[in-house]
Amino acid sequence: MRLPAAVNSLLLRSSGVLIFLILWETAPRLAWVDPYFVPPLSIVVREIWLLLETGDLSRHLLVSSWRAVTGLSLALVVALPLGIILGRWLTGLASALEPLLRLLSQINPFAMLPLFLLFFGIGETAKVAVVTWVTLWPILFYTIIATRTVDPLQIKSAAALGVSRSEMLCKVILPAAVPTIFIGIRIGASLTFFILIAAEMLGAGSGLGWLVHNSAMNYLIPRIYAGATFIVLLGFLLNRLLLYIEASLSIWQGSQSGSPVAGQSRASSWRPDRGSAVAGTAILVLVLILGALEVRRLNQEALAGASSSSSHAKHFGTPADSSDGGL
Amino acid sequence: MENGALRKAGVILLFLALWELAPLTGLVDPLFIPRFSGVLITIRDLYQTGEFLQHTRISLLRAFSGLAVAVVIGLPLGLILGGWFPRIQQATEPLMELCAVANPVILAHIIIFFLGIGETAKTFIIAWLCVWPITFSTITGIRSADDSLLKAARSLGLGRWQLFRLVVLPSAAPSIFTGLRLSAGYAFIMLIAAEMMGAGSGLGWFIVQSQESYHVLRLFAGATVITFLGLLTDVSIRLLQNRFAFWNSEPGESFHLQGRGIV
Repeated sequence: MRLPAAVNSLLLRSSGVLIFLILWETAPRLAWVDPYFVPPLSIVVREIWLLLETGDLSRHLLVSSWRAVTGLSLALVVALPLGIILGRWLTGLASALEPLLRLLSQINPFAMLPLFLLFFGIGETAKVAVVTWVTLWPILFYTIIATRTVDPLQIKSAAALGVSRSEMLCKVILPAAVPTIFIGIRIGASLTFFILIAAEMLGAGSGLGWLVHNSAMNYLIPRIYAGATFIVLLGFLLNRLLLYIEASLSIWQGSQSGSPVAGQSRASSWRPDRGSAVAGTAILVLVLILGALEVRRLNQEALAGASSSSSHAKHFGTPADSSDGGL
Repeated sequence: MENGALRKAGVILLFLALWELAPLTGLVDPLFIPRFSGVLITIRDLYQTGEFLQHTRISLLRAFSGLAVAVVIGLPLGLILGGWFPRIQQATEPLMELCAVANPVILAHIIIFFLGIGETAKTFIIAWLCVWPITFSTITGIRSADDSLLKAARSLGLGRWQLFRLVVLPSAAPSIFTGLRLSAGYAFIMLIAAEMMGAGSGLGWFIVQSQESYHVLRLFAGATVITFLGLLTDVSIRLLQNRFAFWNSEPGESFHLQGRGIV
């Protein structure tokens, strides 16, 4: 008897999306909306397929994700240690710094974008810097809060058992803080995605944002929809992936982490193990390496194309060099 | 308490002093990062010409009209879906999640087909981004109303409307305010993006314009004013929240909310 109920709920949950998709297909076909401006779903899907087949989409996807992952990792490298130190050891300093950090985090990332463009040129550095800037704050705030609010009982009992400082950090504080830290990472990641696409529109020669922007400039309307649909799907998948890792990281936290909000009506039944978390991380590392190669190749192509502007050359190669020593 | 506030103010002053001194002493290139006093003077000069005031006014109008539209749509939507039609809410939740991830910067290109590049399009884009956190946090807030409280109120003979006004709404208020604050932040972020991509006025346009003509001082002036406005909005909403929903502002709740609302 359980299966029909599950199927039923699945149908109910997907009905909204299904109706939307059907409307998308039929409305242009029946000329309710101008099919020139709103191509039907099937045409958009075919366009996505075409883009996938030529390899355009995957190339831009790889470049965009490399930028996102690099920026995110840089933010992690800075924010995690800083957050732990501020949240755990220098609590006085943390509370004194709080208004300043809030002020800095309030600085509009789009207002920062022209500044970064001014500092770093239109190369990869500016985009990675923007991503880093945007993700730095949520990760930092959540790390401070997470390490500050570790159950004192746990810390006291661990201290009573005589654990060393490093053990305290690795075995008590971090495991307790990871779920909260990850919320910060997830917020940062979704913001990244948003800001990166905008940054690529404002000044780039590759990446998903550029793909859509370029299509719009050339009035390739089905391609705009194809790019947009793909990006929406990607954002959705990214969010789900991060939720998945979050759930698997906080597995030992039991019911508390079955956050009443994140899993409202979502099946809280699947609880991935740590292995899948490792697999997810491995995928991110893979993106980092492959993306670096791809960015480097694209930039070298661009360099070969416009060898005259040597001032730009400085900006190209550099970030790729730093992250993949291999090639 | 007094001491703590003093120290916090001190840190900000220290930061501003550093901003003033670093370019002065040549620690950073004053061409790229101008002195704080220089930025302030630029802001004053710009306001005296009156043109800048116009840009600020236009930007504020855009941000707040977008936010207002989002509140007018999101709040009732959340109340209705969360309060009365849980099945419809279930059916539309994945669609709403997809809509919430739909990047407004990308959508801008499509919206322009329908609404042109005028004010309507900008308001729509801002409202689009802002409506989801409000809707989600309203739904969550209504859902999180304490069951035993509801039962107690019902057994005391409260009608539907009274139940809603006296029990459900107050318990949802903190969550709704959190969503509102999140949305207000988005409104300012998106405002600048929208103005950068296609506008002939507003602070975002002003910033891009300054960047293209290498007016670093003006660029900093624009960014400073925007930051200040965003901060002011955030603080005012927080004050409203303290005034109208001072109870039950458990921080943990808002974290989950943020994680959710932003999707």
